[in-house]
Amino acid sequence: MLLSELKPGEYGIVKKIGGSGAIHRRLLSMGLLPGAIVRVVRISPLGDPIEYEIRGFFISLRKQEATNVEVDKIVPLSLVPGNSEVRVIFIDGGVGFVQNMGAMGIAVGKILKVIKPCCPMQVQTDRGIFTVGRGMAYRVFVR
Amino acid sequence: MIVALAGNPNTGKSTIFNALTGMKQHVGNWPGVTVEKKEGEMEINGTRVKVVDLPGTYSLTAYSLEEIITRNFIIEEKPDIIVDIIDASNLERNLYLLTELLELHSKIIVVLNMFDEAQKKYNIDVDLMSKILGLPVVPAVGIRGKGIDELKEKILRGKFNPKKVEYPEDVEKRIEKIEEKIKKLGLEPARWYAIKVIENDVEVVKKIKDKGARDILHLAEHLRHEIEDIYGDDIESVMTSFRYSFAHGLFHEVAEPINVGGVTITDMLDHVITHKIFGIPIFLAIMYLSFQFVFLVAAPFQDAIDLLFNGKDAAGGHIPGLVDLSYNWMLTFMPDWLSSFINHGMLRGLGAVLTFTPVIMLLFLILSFLEDSGYLARVAFLMDSVMKKMGLEGRGIIPLMLGFGCNVPAVMATRTLKDENERKLSIALNPLIPCGARIQVFAFLSSIFFPSNPALVLWSLLILSMVVVFFLGYIYSKTIFRGKSEPFVLELPPYRMPTMKGISIHMWEKSEGFLRKAGTIIVGAAAIIWIFAALPWGVEYGSPDSYIGMFAQWIAPIGTAFGLTPEAIISLIFGFFAKEVVIDVLYVLFGSKDAILASMTWAQAYSFMLFMLFYTPCVATLAAVYNETKSKKFTLFVILEGFFLAALFSFTFYTIFTLLGVGA
Ligand SMILES: Nc1nc2c(ncn2[C@@H]2O[C@H](COP(=O)(O)OP(=O)(O)O)[C@@H](O)[C@H]2O)c(=O)[nH]1
Repeated sequence: MLLSELKPGEYGIVKKIGGSGAIHRRLLSMGLLPGAIVRVVRISPLGDPIEYEIRGFFISLRKQEATNVEVDKIVPLSLVPGNSEVRVIFIDGGVGFVQNMGAMGIAVGKILKVIKPCCPMQVQTDRGIFTVGRGMAYRVFVR
Repeated sequence: MIVALAGNPNTGKSTIFNALTGMKQHVGNWPGVTVEKKEGEMEINGTRVKVVDLPGTYSLTAYSLEEIITRNFIIEEKPDIIVDIIDASNLERNLYLLTELLELHSKIIVVLNMFDEAQKKYNIDVDLMSKILGLPVVPAVGIRGKGIDELKEKILRGKFNPKKVEYPEDVEKRIEKIEEKIKKLGLEPARWYAIKVIENDVEVVKKIKDKGARDILHLAEHLRHEIEDIYGDDIESVMTSFRYSFAHGLFHEVAEPINVGGVTITDMLDHVITHKIFGIPIFLAIMYLSFQFVFLVAAPFQDAIDLLFNGKDAAGGHIPGLVDLSYNWMLTFMPDWLSSFINHGMLRGLGAVLTFTPVIMLLFLILSFLEDSGYLARVAFLMDSVMKKMGLEGRGIIPLMLGFGCNVPAVMATRTLKDENERKLSIALNPLIPCGARIQVFAFLSSIFFPSNPALVLWSLLILSMVVVFFLGYIYSKTIFRGKSEPFVLELPPYRMPTMKGISIHMWEKSEGFLRKAGTIIVGAAAIIWIFAALPWGVEYGSPDSYIGMFAQWIAPIGTAFGLTPEAIISLIFGFFAKEVVIDVLYVLFGSKDAILASMTWAQAYSFMLFMLFYTPCVATLAAVYNETKSKKFTLFVILEGFFLAALFSFTFYTIFTLLGVGA
């Protein structure tokens, strides 16, 4: 789907940056790259532009410009309701963090079962049942 | 020694620049463009260092003026050291520019500014970062002057052993192939040129083409397609991704997050400030209060300056001002005409410049506050979809609103727009907004000629001007000021409490240029008007017998087509000097309200107001237009545009009404 189609509060992971010339380059240099996580923050009162959070900072894009970005909708683990199964898409953090999560069986591609929703939440992985804190659950993205 | 400051916008670059150079700085423009160039000087242990503030940029592509200026400066002027000012609280994105700089220059000092804010978000290992990069890294808090001494010391004695930004093997291999050939062309830095030509950078491709090295271009194209095939995406996405992953890797290596999630103050403020329903009313209220503040506070100062120069008519007769006193005093040792020229011409002109000063300084005080605090970016976010229709980004509404106060600071305020074309469009539209002085004249004339409903008449003129500005903006943006339609990607920085020092420096920078340059133009114009109003010798100043009067008589036949009487024309000519003078001139010529009422029909009066709504901006506004664009052609365009609209509306109105036989 297109970035412009996400609603406030929703997350996406960038698949491809389209467009050409200035807009293409500008989006890339702001860090909108394949694999980056974007959150829709809010829409301007007049319907356009839209505010997004990316890599910890905030930018505003006109709808027209946001149609150049292809995304997949994802959800941070912290927002997943109880009793549902999800697949891990992305873990946002350095090598250490990814390793720690891996030790609990939370790694890209793995299936998790949420037993108790956030926070703290309990999830069942292929390595057992673990308690995941809010800070961690925020940085694991699933679908 | 030359040191250049580079960095993203909003990282505290100006703050650091000011801390380094103090007041020893000079603001100008980069050659040929309206982008501001700041240069300054400092001394470190007896070594003189020139500091150049490069435009704030996110990257160094060939797609924006600021980025081209920045990279060309580095390549051509070869500064000894580049200081990359990084907003440490937004480390990853800021490190991206560093990756681009690393390819251009080997001596870079990294300043981690806003270190105070960064420490709330993560622990940064400064020494590790310095070791990894092979560059001096200096943590700093610009607003408190922290880190400035260390930065100075590194400028003199820093050690540089920079790490290369490495691409994967199959890309490196291809870069090397091109790099060898570039070296033979003698272009430096060769690796950067090689990378850019592979990336199909338009400027670099052009440069190589100019050198006649078509073989390099062919090879580069071939290699580009190979890389695109290997990585399955376009070359720009691929190469930017590699540089970003360098930045990403470095970021995670040196910074350990303390606190993720949670609600920030900025988020809470934005909930209200950009609220669906309250956002726009809050914006209007803030603007209203700001203008109210400016004009209320400025008014007594303006009155005082006016009193000082021009004196005052009181019940007991005229209280002399500086102009009269100096005139009489000079009469004692010079002829009448010379004293009158110096005092009634030039000194009065100087008075006019000075009465503008309080408004200009206060407006820029407020504007700097709104900008530094981060609110201006929210205005852009709120108003964008309205302003977009007339070819402007959201911030374009601010100069237009300021125009209702005074066009002079409004034209200067177009500097908040970053795009060159949008600035020009905005400057061309601004004088069409009736300023306070014109509104005052309209209110006065409406009350004489339309006593039953003056407000409606005034309102009709304001609405007309807004409609014209909107449509003209729409047409201009599609025709003469059609930009490359730069994408509008706007950063919404966190709200910050601006410092008094930062604001005063901004305010001073902006006001000073106007006072110096525009001031001379205004004083000069005042002198010229004096000559035409006082000659030929012996006539009463500004009377129908003076040159201005004769001109008005001569042009009167044309004026009748617009319903303009000779007296109205004389008042318009003086209005060029300052619009509010129109009332004074009519009073001088007619002596009383009743005589003014008898001199025109109401249709003529309305036509006169229509003409006055648009005809040439006053001399101070023109000076500001020239000062901002540095173009005589553009200034002339603004004059002609005004006259054209004035003629169009007053002619149409007057013709229709005389044909209908009403009001004649
Ligand atoms: N907290 C904090 N604020 C800073 C620091 N340096 C600058 N600022 C503020 O950041 C804002 C932007 O600074 P400015 O120098 O205008 O940034 P520029 O756009 O990069 O030139 C201003 O409100 C400054 O007061 C710092 O080290 N810490």
